[in-house]
Amino acid sequence: MSTNLHQRLSGIPDEHVLVIAPNGRLSVAEVLQSGPAADIPSDARVLVSIDDVRELTRVLVALDGAVAGILLVSTAQPPEVVEELAKVADCTIIVSDRDDLASARNVVQAIGPTRPRDRTTGWIMTTSGTTGIPKLVPHTLDSLARSVRTEKVQPVPVWGMVYEMTRFAGLQVALQSLLSGGTLCVPERDRDVSEQVRFLVESGCTHLSATPTLWRRLLMAPESNKLTLKQVTLGGEIADQAVLNALAARFPHARLTHIYASTEAGVGFAVKDGKAGFPLSLAEEQSEGVGIRIRDNTLWLRPPGGYRPRYLSGQDIEIDANGYINTGDRLEIAGDRAHFLGRDSSVVNVGGVKVYPERVERVIGDVEGVGLVAVTAKKSPITGALLIASVVPASQDLDTAELKQRIMARCRNTLEREATPARIVFTQTLQTNAAGKISRN
Amino acid sequence: MTESLEPEIRRAFKEVWQSENESDAPELQPDTVLLDTGLDSLGFAIFVSQLEDELGFDPFTLSTDAYYPQTFAEFVAFYEKFRSHAA
Repeated sequence: MSTNLHQRLSGIPDEHVLVIAPNGRLSVAEVLQSGPAADIPSDARVLVSIDDVRELTRVLVALDGAVAGILLVSTAQPPEVVEELAKVADCTIIVSDRDDLASARNVVQAIGPTRPRDRTTGWIMTTSGTTGIPKLVPHTLDSLARSVRTEKVQPVPVWGMVYEMTRFAGLQVALQSLLSGGTLCVPERDRDVSEQVRFLVESGCTHLSATPTLWRRLLMAPESNKLTLKQVTLGGEIADQAVLNALAARFPHARLTHIYASTEAGVGFAVKDGKAGFPLSLAEEQSEGVGIRIRDNTLWLRPPGGYRPRYLSGQDIEIDANGYINTGDRLEIAGDRAHFLGRDSSVVNVGGVKVYPERVERVIGDVEGVGLVAVTAKKSPITGALLIASVVPASQDLDTAELKQRIMARCRNTLEREATPARIVFTQTLQTNAAGKISRN
Repeated sequence: MTESLEPEIRRAFKEVWQSENESDAPELQPDTVLLDTGLDSLGFAIFVSQLEDELGFDPFTLSTDAYYPQTFAEFVAFYEKFRSHAA
């Protein structure tokens, strides 16, 4: 049986602060005395969709080792998706601090006195991407914590948490902090960046992990001059040389790390030389760590320890006979370095959010007055990419200004902000390819 | 001596800000921090993209310095520095 969260936190002094948030703190003592509520059986799988990091931490420590499974679902998922995921993953209990889930119980109803922890709880993560129902990827705490350094360091690292903790990147930051005796400081995500940075500064944040898009934004906020960071981590998007250089100049005493991570593989690797891309020597090292291979300019990863990821409910994952998984990320090799180019599918990464242009096309195609539509990506030095929609009106005499407003209104009502096109261009024709499909190039 | 890019940048900012926020854009002072005006990263990316379409260049892509301007005055100066690329 593997070591659960409760056991892993047991060696830390009771008064140690695990989480600092604007609405309060959470100490070790507060989490160690609880288990699941008495009416949650030990063979239950529990869907957890909690935004508050203190509450989420309490629930995860209470459940891990005491129930069969924990499925983490972003609080940004609509209620019908949450219900569907619960069904697919066979979760009979939903715990949430949101008020739009009819069948959910709140955190108080989910926690009870401590009880035996005699199970290895399965942790199920969801893949990011705005396609509708996310894919489910089974893990264990061990597989999730694999790249976490657990040695306790002094002074205590204070990790800024600017991700949603229910997502892979956020959980990585949380586990890194919790398991190395650190403190998580969690600004309110819906506040201005300046205000969030002020909170990080006041909380004594020393370690911060964010997307390149968010780092650029932090660099443009004067408050960030007051941050004194020892660790600067970038992930979730391609880190270009400009943002790496700017961070190295702004935080000269920080270790600068950019990580590549795949929810599917449950792992990734870190690059620490401050240069974009990664050295090919990483792909040659065949230690017990993550296996890295480049095949047809695409990155394949092999998780260590024979861990074979799969999607629940028969969803496909491309994995070869040696256990390497196709990440779908394309690379360009130049000299002794590989640089990320983007995805081999049509997925576009807009500010760390994966967007499928086809889905945006479907939404726009349904708007009255739209004849044809093609959604393409344009490179952006701020968010990596932006979406441009090219629209052929259904008839020549339509008022395009009005049509544009209708399209924007529909997109804003039905799509994530990142999936809403930055620009709508009206055109007379669209290129079609040999298969008769609208060409995105 | 060519004209300042400031009026053009001011106009583009107003247009993008209003389209993103569906209300009136705030007045920009030289020391206004652009990201404190209510324009988020995506809005800022759209603003830079629109300026590229209108001015014909994007200093963020052209610049080899690691530099991200914070105030409106710094932003305009950043564009002025690279305007010779607008050919």
